Amino acid sequence: MNIYLLQIINGVGIGMLYFLLAVGLSIVFGLLRFVNFAHGAFYLLGAYFCFQMTRWGLSFWLALLVVPLVVGALGWLTEKLMLRHVYATAHEFHILVTVGLALAVQELVILQWGPLGDSVAVPDILQGVVMWGSFVYPKYRLFVIAFTAVLAVLLWYLLEGTRLGSAVRAGSESTEMVSLLGINVFRIFSLVFALGAATAALAGVLAAPIRGAEPFMGVEALGVAFVVVVVGGMGSFSGALLGGLLIGVVQSVMSTLWPEGARLMIYIAMATVLLLRPHGLLGRKE
Amino acid sequence: MKKHTLLILALAVVLVMPVLMHSGSLASEVLIFGLAAMGCNLLLGFTGLLSFGQGIFFGLGSYTVALTLTRWPLPMPLALALAMVTGGLGAALVGWIAIRQKGTYFVMLTLAFAQMFYFIAYTATGLTGGDNGLLDIPRPSITAFGQTLWPLTSPWQFYGFVALIFLVAFWLLLRVSRSTFGRTLLAVRDNEERAGAIGYNLKLLKLQAFVISGAVTGLAGALHAMMIGIAPLANAEYHTSEMILVMTVIGGTGNLFASVLGSAFYLLLADWLSALWPRWLLLLGMVLMAVSLWMQRGLWGLGEKLWHLRQGKHGQIRDQTTVQGNKT
Repeated sequence: MNIYLLQIINGVGIGMLYFLLAVGLSIVFGLLRFVNFAHGAFYLLGAYFCFQMTRWGLSFWLALLVVPLVVGALGWLTEKLMLRHVYATAHEFHILVTVGLALAVQELVILQWGPLGDSVAVPDILQGVVMWGSFVYPKYRLFVIAFTAVLAVLLWYLLEGTRLGSAVRAGSESTEMVSLLGINVFRIFSLVFALGAATAALAGVLAAPIRGAEPFMGVEALGVAFVVVVVGGMGSFSGALLGGLLIGVVQSVMSTLWPEGARLMIYIAMATVLLLRPHGLLGRKE
Repeated sequence: MKKHTLLILALAVVLVMPVLMHSGSLASEVLIFGLAAMGCNLLLGFTGLLSFGQGIFFGLGSYTVALTLTRWPLPMPLALALAMVTGGLGAALVGWIAIRQKGTYFVMLTLAFAQMFYFIAYTATGLTGGDNGLLDIPRPSITAFGQTLWPLTSPWQFYGFVALIFLVAFWLLLRVSRSTFGRTLLAVRDNEERAGAIGYNLKLLKLQAFVISGAVTGLAGALHAMMIGIAPLANAEYHTSEMILVMTVIGGTGNLFASVLGSAFYLLLADWLSALWPRWLLLLGMVLMAVSLWMQRGLWGLGEKLWHLRQGKHGQIRDQTTVQGNKT
């Protein structure tokens, strides 16, 4: 089979994970107007909680359900106890408080699980590969693509088809207007931040069997999520999807063409998009 | 505040450290990162630009001095000057692109450039040594007419050299921050629209601030590489950018001496705690959160508050950096 076709399909698999990682960051930015540097920390927690649960002998599927809820609750608490108190201050402190949080979480993870990485086993049903003529692909990765695709549809419905979703989108336009209409904006802030944390954790759980869990994956994921969101357009759901797929494919194809430069290429792709379309491919101009 | 107070404080720090501290390297490091934090402060505290790209300029300085001292044997002062030039040029490039954006987009762009620089440094092994870094950087003595004036072999000899550079840079940056240019930067920080409406060229002002910041940070990176004898890839990592930023914020923004406090706080805490407890960064993360939540003017702001309380002055504490005579 054509190696590039395989790499493109691989890239779609990576890209869907990148989408899941970035979409929370993007929605949180759209509504709360700040970049959550602790987003990678929630992803990190997702991967390690999954590792811990499988080590306790619990099933991966239970982790896939429980971990996002737990981390989402942590996100909800973070917004309520910390972020709420910096909204009134200068913009830098919104970012800095999450930088502090990310550092603290990373160190807590090392404290609890050690500085070296741990691996998470692929669940039994999904072990092995799918063969389809000359097409060979790991079952688990196919599952990740299908699962994130379903999630993407659900998230899209949540944002576009529900009352909460319209409040979130309206809040992205004008927070004052929404609160004047009698909607408790702070509750929406908490919910959206929790949703962002939960999606990041979900990406962490899904990534754990592929790349294991290690303490510095949070920083790395944060960098990737930034790239995706900037390429796609801040605050845009479809932008996160397009950006995720694009970056995933670029990285995957480049890893055959120029392995050392694969990571460099995604940052070059980002700089190019920013120079040509400063608000991202699908972002709105402010 | 009296005109020379900050300069006297800086001199006091330089003189007191050799008395109180055992390690000349640690003392040099405090001043070196103090320089880098001042560069960051000029952007964050004086111009309102939160840059995650300071590691680029720090790394550029390290690599420049390493290359010039090992491969093309240039005189050491010239190598340091060249490090400032590459730091400033790097900052001009990053600044030129990043200042097209404001707020969050600007922050993310600086971070993207920091990541990009890291991967460039990692990939260009011929120039940077990749993962290994550049090794065996000499620390040549200062000579004139064949006479050795100032050998830099021992840590404390090197400290003296760093201290001299630090004091000159501190004095120059202080002058810059108090000049019309510095005051205009404060106007940009406090109200960008208004400064633009008055007719200031915002982009040029920001770019100039970037170049100065990059040159100072490049100098710091060069001195750091000379101190440890290598230019490691770590100097170009996100972690370095973050560290410089954290020092600046913890010390307090908008006051140059506060950056030295931040650097000293960070490095002394690191030195003291890392032996006792390897996970001391956890504490640092918490300090950063606390500063962001409750003491946004950092250690310097806290000290000022305590000072005013002692003096029995209640009520509003004057922000030292707001533009004077700006009554509307």
